[in-house]
Amino acid sequence: MIVLLLRALSVAGFLLLWEWAARVPISFNFPSPLATLRALVALVWSGALPAATLISVQALGLGFGAALVIGIPLGLAMGVVGPLGRAARVYLDLLIALPTAALVPLVILSFGINVLSSAVIVFAFSAPFVALNAYGGVRDVRPRLAEMACAFGASRLQLFARIVLPSALPMILAGVRYGLSRAFVGLIIAELLLSPFGLGRLIMTARSMFEHDRMFATVLWTLLLAALALAGLARLEARWLRWRA
Amino acid sequence: MATSRREPLAIAIEGVSKAFGTLQALSNIDLRVGPGEFLTLIGPSGCGKTTLLKAIAGLASVDAGRVVVGSRAVTGPGRECAVVFQDFALLPWATVQRNVEFGLLLHGVGAAERGVTARGCLAKVGLAGFEDAYPAQLSGGMQQRVGLARALAVDPQVLLMDEPFASIDEQTRRVFQDDLLSLWSEDRKTVVFVTHSMEEAVYLSDRVVVLSPRPGRVHQVLDVPLARPRETADVRASLPFTRLVDDLWKILRKLQ
Repeated sequence: MIVLLLRALSVAGFLLLWEWAARVPISFNFPSPLATLRALVALVWSGALPAATLISVQALGLGFGAALVIGIPLGLAMGVVGPLGRAARVYLDLLIALPTAALVPLVILSFGINVLSSAVIVFAFSAPFVALNAYGGVRDVRPRLAEMACAFGASRLQLFARIVLPSALPMILAGVRYGLSRAFVGLIIAELLLSPFGLGRLIMTARSMFEHDRMFATVLWTLLLAALALAGLARLEARWLRWRA
Repeated sequence: MATSRREPLAIAIEGVSKAFGTLQALSNIDLRVGPGEFLTLIGPSGCGKTTLLKAIAGLASVDAGRVVVGSRAVTGPGRECAVVFQDFALLPWATVQRNVEFGLLLHGVGAAERGVTARGCLAKVGLAGFEDAYPAQLSGGMQQRVGLARALAVDPQVLLMDEPFASIDEQTRRVFQDDLLSLWSEDRKTVVFVTHSMEEAVYLSDRVVVLSPRPGRVHQVLDVPLARPRETADVRASLPFTRLVDDLWKILRKLQ
């Protein structure tokens, strides 16, 4: 109840601040909340926003899906096979330390200007975090639980399925959640730089035509999309990790 | 599952030695545990009592000698033995019911039989009604009851208990000791019990084996001729009990 109230208050406070900033005005181009909302409705109504979203979601789904399908097993394998973990860890650390945006031109050169390029960048942004968290999850397995399972005669496969995997699940899910927010960052960076597709293009077009209300509306829409996806994941996490409540 | 379908087994420890680097944890240990006997290992820290228990469980290899459980020379964990751990080692993500089923699950027992057996074992340790709780919702004493139920569920012929009551408060511990004894008298399994409590060692055991540290050797074996059942009589207040604890103290004091 108090949390809800605080949330409502903070949203109201933010909108007030925004309205004030538009009235001062901070800049001639600064759109008011109402203008932004109007632009948002118009963008949804005209079909421009849904169409762009569809393309962006495709790139996101492809890139982030690949990050999960490759990243989680890679991280688990790294945790289970010691030498593989030590060898692969260096590259993942490098990918994380690297300003990944610098890879964008290289990716465009390699894959061309298309949705696949965006997906590859989304993948590069999110996969290292997904993999490293799965790796960390395996390394965090309590040795005593593994010993207990061995005492009851667990095979290596049983040890993995019954002890390692459930032990690592909280870390894996945290990695998935963080990876998803990174995937959104990658998506928008890719589309801003690649331009001809998706939400990023909509932002850039609106900017170049000085339609700042439309630009803001698209940014807002993207934020909402990301928040929605993360909230969905958080719910899934709460259900799967009920025992931690 | 009122009583065991399987006979308790004898354990023979023959010339067992084990070193961790330069530390000689166990040195030429010879020990026999009779079928259905309750034997306790006690000694100062570093005397290798847990290492010896792990060697019996097949969780630790030995450098020399061998351990024979029943007729099987131990080379790894076997289905004759079940271990109760000091820190309970419960799966935090599984309900009490699923924790107790865990050993059976690994042994490939079907879901229906697992459920029935586990519920029976939970009732035996006094936890009927807690099937759907998670370990974190239980007190330490109750968590260890889950650990005991999990061990009993696989119907072992040898029960190995590694300081099971060490992290449980004194009142709870006494009740648990009584419950353990009455469970054991209903269904006599061979028990090897590690503790650092002298009262506990005397109260529970048929024999107490005192190990000396660095290198771990059998220092002395103390017989406990107190009549059973002890849990119903007021044994803890009796003079023979007090004398035996004092004898044990005199032996252990010299080892400190």
